[in-house]
Amino acid sequence: MATELVKTEDFRSDDLRTDDLRTDEMIINMGPQHPATHGVLRLILTLDGEKVKHVEPILGHLHRAQEWQGQNRTWFQYQALIDRVDYLSGMFTSWAMARSCEQLDGITVPPRAEYLRVMVAEMNRISSHLLWLGTYLIDLGAMFGFPFYPFREREKLLDLFEEISGQRMMFNYIRIGGVHRDPKAEWFQKVRKFTEEFPQRVDEYEAIVTENPIFLKRTKGVGILKQSVAKDYGVTGPCIRCSGIPLDLRRTKPYSVYPELKFDVITYDKEGDTWDRYMARILEMRQSNEIIKQCLDMIPAGEIMGKKQMAGMRIKAGEGFAAVESPRGIIGCYVTSTGGEKPFRFRWRNPSFCNLSVLSELLVGSPIADIMAIFGSIDVILPDVDR
Amino acid sequence: MSTEAKPPAQPEAPLEPGKFGQFLKEHGISTNRLPDSCGVETITISADDLHQALKLLRSSQETKLDLLITVSGVDNNDTIDAVYHLWSYYNNDELVLKVMTPKASIPEGKLPEVPSISNFWSAANWHERETYDLAGVRFTGHPYPRRILNPWDWEGHPLRRDYKQPADDLNSKHRVSFR
Repeated sequence: MATELVKTEDFRSDDLRTDDLRTDEMIINMGPQHPATHGVLRLILTLDGEKVKHVEPILGHLHRAQEWQGQNRTWFQYQALIDRVDYLSGMFTSWAMARSCEQLDGITVPPRAEYLRVMVAEMNRISSHLLWLGTYLIDLGAMFGFPFYPFREREKLLDLFEEISGQRMMFNYIRIGGVHRDPKAEWFQKVRKFTEEFPQRVDEYEAIVTENPIFLKRTKGVGILKQSVAKDYGVTGPCIRCSGIPLDLRRTKPYSVYPELKFDVITYDKEGDTWDRYMARILEMRQSNEIIKQCLDMIPAGEIMGKKQMAGMRIKAGEGFAAVESPRGIIGCYVTSTGGEKPFRFRWRNPSFCNLSVLSELLVGSPIADIMAIFGSIDVILPDVDR
Repeated sequence: MSTEAKPPAQPEAPLEPGKFGQFLKEHGISTNRLPDSCGVETITISADDLHQALKLLRSSQETKLDLLITVSGVDNNDTIDAVYHLWSYYNNDELVLKVMTPKASIPEGKLPEVPSISNFWSAANWHERETYDLAGVRFTGHPYPRRILNPWDWEGHPLRRDYKQPADDLNSKHRVSFR
């Protein structure tokens, strides 16, 4: 039967009606209610066939006026709100605010609080990367149940967070001057148990994902982020480290007790694709696990709070910028205080906002099926973009 | 004048230019040093010199401030500032650069104007759009000067001191409202 089919060589090029075949660019609206955009992002895509020619992200669907809130709430009130800026890594937003206010006020944070901060922050980094891992595989079409493996470990971490801060995601645990509560001895044992079993869990994910042929096909050589482009757009975090710049604030501008801890900064010497960004996050989770282990051994006893927490709390006048290395990059805030009950100006520098701006560069020229593979790999969280 | 009778707020001589102020001075750009913000050199610069200064600071081998952290708009009570936080990817240098526009010099109903740097530094594109949106600084020469976080037909700039919230069902002071 196959011989009866028309062969392709029967068509000569002059049979194709090239003169009359009118092609046109197509404009497609992707989102804002799209299951793979991790929030509410709208992309206006200009397509030439399957290829993306132009992308315009429309932001602001999740805008909650966090900066406006910053200058209209007291320091104490605002402290509780900012976990919502980036709800997957709330510890880091709290920590950035705490650091910026501490350096203005000249508060010395007790060493035990610093160790607790590093511990909960690294646990938060793991939980954030785990969520990214699960949802990224969904973005790539792996709906077969893999996403629930990372969520299993994330659930344990959220339970641990709940035990010390009372909340699973909006912690309000890191406060200006220290941390809110001193965990019990059993909590540390639970964390130790988690750190002992976690590397095997990562091995499990890697066994499923890392060398998976479908995963490799979808991610290898896709979404290569050139170093010059990344620098031009101010990209930070794992994305820039995969493009060959070892910018990790924990190492380059060390803060807290990071100088005393041993860990590797995951950097590649090439211009990374989406698979490299996946691998960097996997390796970062292992490093974070090591950091938590060291903290468990090194944590001293003592005070946990260096400033009295009260509703009328004030910060000395001045201005300053402080940043921490969040799972997505440099999160920082620029605080101006006049010494009053409320901040004068509170400006956030969000890693997702800056990393998302490079998206239009990354997507141009790639097929429409790769949009989510690339968008997922830069690990953007939309509440962090829109604030 | 009565102001001469009492000591002015900043009696000291102008601060010595720091590392970056000196660098810009050598290239013929005059800057004014402000008190350091938490140990980071802070300078003001006139809007006309902004382009050249940022290009120099970004690309010259001595400074290499090639990471634009943020562009923020601050409504100080008598000036409106565009604040640029510059970092470096390769070393620990930091610089805060401010372009201050006195409110008295802004014509009625107009926004303060600062030249846009997004033509040669893509990172500034969205930051400038956001600053325009929230703080009301017009970046002249911006390729796409639209609001980014608020709806495109929003009125006013929410982070201005004189901003009035739109009165709607949620925040009107009528007694049947939720507040």
